[in-house]
Amino acid sequence: MMLAVFAALSLALLAGYCGPRWFAVWSMLVCLALSIGLFLFEIYNPDYGFRMPWLQVQLDTLPQVWPRGAHS
Amino acid sequence: MNMTPGARLPAALNDLFLFAVMLTMAAILTTAMVFQYHGGEIPCPLCLLQRVAMFGVCFGAILHFRHGYSARHDGISMLSALLLLIISARQTLLDIYPRPGHSYIGSAVFGLHMPVWSVLIAVAILLAFAIKLAALGGEGLSDRPPPALGRPARWLSFYVVAICLINLGSVIVQCGADACHTTEYRWLSGS
Repeated sequence: MMLAVFAALSLALLAGYCGPRWFAVWSMLVCLALSIGLFLFEIYNPDYGFRMPWLQVQLDTLPQVWPRGAHS
Repeated sequence: MNMTPGARLPAALNDLFLFAVMLTMAAILTTAMVFQYHGGEIPCPLCLLQRVAMFGVCFGAILHFRHGYSARHDGISMLSALLLLIISARQTLLDIYPRPGHSYIGSAVFGLHMPVWSVLIAVAILLAFAIKLAALGGEGLSDRPPPALGRPARWLSFYVVAICLINLGSVIVQCGADACHTTEYRWLSGS
């Protein structure tokens, strides 16, 4: 996937430097779309993805709230 | 297409701005490559995506110096800067929490690691483009760059394309057609 991203990027820059503009812009848009897809893959993939434990609040226990004076 | 005298200064300032942006991006990308090839620091997938976004910022400037001013070119650069900000903020949030196996990748430069620098760079680019658009606008800029900046810009564009191709080769060696890892270069390890 990263290979496809860099291939599209190289095509875009090469076309931007010495090729047709429409091809350069389309290649860059494809590159950005692939980058966003790969970024989301990196985040959500269970094997290669990453987690941010300090944001995982689902498994936290609820704090116990005691009425005033009832906990003693 | 002749420019009025009043439009020459904004056009020259716009050229200078885009040249400075492209030069800064090229310097940052070159530094990252020196850290990779000389320091032996293999880039992570998010680091590579940040490089892609930095090349995207340069792309708008390359189009400008070849085809003249267009708000679309600025838009592509700002879109890439936004992507850089999102990816680097995500990586900073990921690495800022100390736990085994997950620390900042690479060495610190002036006390800050690469993803933190990328956040600052992305914010600076977006801020600079916003100020540029607010100050210069887009009217009267649609002309070829002045010859004095045309040749350096052409050489700088060529340099950016060249280091992008080097990065493409590096990604082939590091990742092949599969996922990238920071432990080894896939093709150099023999596996």
